[in-house]
Amino acid sequence: MSAGFSQFFASYSNIIDLCLLNSLIAYGLFLALSANMFSLATGGFMALGAYCSVYCTMELGWPFAPAVLAGALLAAAGAALIGAPVLRLRGDYFMLATFAFTEVIRVIALNWDSVTGGAIGIVNIPRYTETWHLALAVVVMVYVVFTLRRSYFGRAIAAIKQDDVVAQSMGVNVFAHRLSLFVASGFVCGAAGALAAHLNFFVGPGDFGLLRSVDALIYPILGGVNSLAGPIVGAIFTTLLPEALRFSNQLREILMGALVVAIVLYLPGGAMSVFKLRRRRPQTPGGAKLAPATKQAQS
Amino acid sequence: MSTFLQQLVNGISLGSTYAVFAMGCTLIFGVLNIVNMAQGAFFMGGAYFGLEAAQLGLPAPLALVVALLGGGLLGVLSELVIFRTLRARGGHRWMGLVASLALARMLVGVAQEAFGTQVQRYPASPLLQISWEFGGVRVQFLQVVILVVSLLLMAALAFLLQRSSVGRAIRTVAFSEDVARIVGVPVGRTILITFFLAGALAGASGMLLGNLFNVVSPFMGEQMLVKGLTVIILGGLGNVPGAVAGGFLLGLIEVFSVAYVSSSFRDAIGFGLIFVILLVKPNGLFSSFEERRA
Repeated sequence: MSAGFSQFFASYSNIIDLCLLNSLIAYGLFLALSANMFSLATGGFMALGAYCSVYCTMELGWPFAPAVLAGALLAAAGAALIGAPVLRLRGDYFMLATFAFTEVIRVIALNWDSVTGGAIGIVNIPRYTETWHLALAVVVMVYVVFTLRRSYFGRAIAAIKQDDVVAQSMGVNVFAHRLSLFVASGFVCGAAGALAAHLNFFVGPGDFGLLRSVDALIYPILGGVNSLAGPIVGAIFTTLLPEALRFSNQLREILMGALVVAIVLYLPGGAMSVFKLRRRRPQTPGGAKLAPATKQAQS
Repeated sequence: MSTFLQQLVNGISLGSTYAVFAMGCTLIFGVLNIVNMAQGAFFMGGAYFGLEAAQLGLPAPLALVVALLGGGLLGVLSELVIFRTLRARGGHRWMGLVASLALARMLVGVAQEAFGTQVQRYPASPLLQISWEFGGVRVQFLQVVILVVSLLLMAALAFLLQRSSVGRAIRTVAFSEDVARIVGVPVGRTILITFFLAGALAGASGMLLGNLFNVVSPFMGEQMLVKGLTVIILGGLGNVPGAVAGGFLLGLIEVFSVAYVSSSFRDAIGFGLIFVILLVKPNGLFSSFEERRA
């Protein structure tokens, strides 16, 4: 039994690491999405975390843990710095501003040769990240999100998500709550970037562009933004699926796209809403009347 | 001085293709308040439609029409398959973003399967080799053609939006879907036409840029999507004249920053600029004081 397990682990450890890492990123985004912040800043935060931690371990000779912490803190500082002005912007402007942030960071990474290695990136990064580091990070993250959702803070966030004007009029400081969530999201994504850099032996500016940010958004949205398990389900699903479709590179992209479209169309609340669908089906007569009201609340 | 004029010429021809592409993006945003992330894939699709037509021996103007129609068809497809279904089901608006990105990935996969990952080129034509010299400034015939075609497309879109009944319908839906429905505008059909127009503009700009750089690859769309987003921020979301001005502006910024600053900072200047603009004037450089949409 244990021999079988260790063999399984040896042959799939890369994929397990990737699943855990992506779950961590997914929770980072989950924090932002839970206050309706459609953030494309993930790539930028991860780049800050990755380059900073690699600089700390390789140039300054720091141990691994403080280096990861430094990377995460730098990303959090970045989030605070851009969050303060950008959070004033509504919906799509916020998305586009965070997108601009990611691209600015990417271009800086591309050109600041002495620290980031420019277009070639940094190679031969020592591999410090162990699977249990990632697993621990995900567990801590799940615990934190679980507690947050039951606290005063979590209820305030839920109110902001429903309608931020109403939340404001009930005395919730919308700006402060959003900013703290955005900084927390930056911290988590920065830590994930630092862990990723010490997992893959390599960082380069190509790893942190628009695509990275978008992939990170797809995890929690596919899984479901309203359930605690949503991000992890979405992350594991989107990480495992390409592995399962390995037989053809081009076909893989096509099938991936088709599957994501199918999920979005048939489960608009995310994959985790499958369970709710089954539970609610008997009471549909009332559901029809409620539908327009929820639609308005969302827009 | 001649460097300046030369870069001016290059920037204007490059910017005109950006403007055509961004008009499509901003049109969809203005009408539906969503960003269609698959526009980049329509751009790539248009370049391939034009390429295939040109390789079949069609003359360039006809190939452009094929690129227009092909891009428009892809736009209609995205509306019918994704956006219309999502609206009917009351899905969250983020879902449209995710689904259109997935569609873009699918189309890139299909293009790789159909045309291979190799970079392809348009068939050489003696007409396109012509260029003139004006006091040290070289103007290619191709650049002039691209500028003229872009201006024609802009004029056609402006005419359509301002003067035709379809355009009035589109503007009514952009103002408010409910109002449009009350006054009897067929909302579903109008949105479908909007997607066709946006896709057609993306397809046409794909062929234009494919000719300008003489490179067609399945991956050309992603970069263009980034440029398109930049331009619509510069011009203001949903603002069509703003997209035209923003397109030219971005083309000029890119070309001049290569010539006078450094080629490696070409993108940084563009993105830094949009970041500043979003903070200072979030409705775009060319917005009036009033808010256009709540």
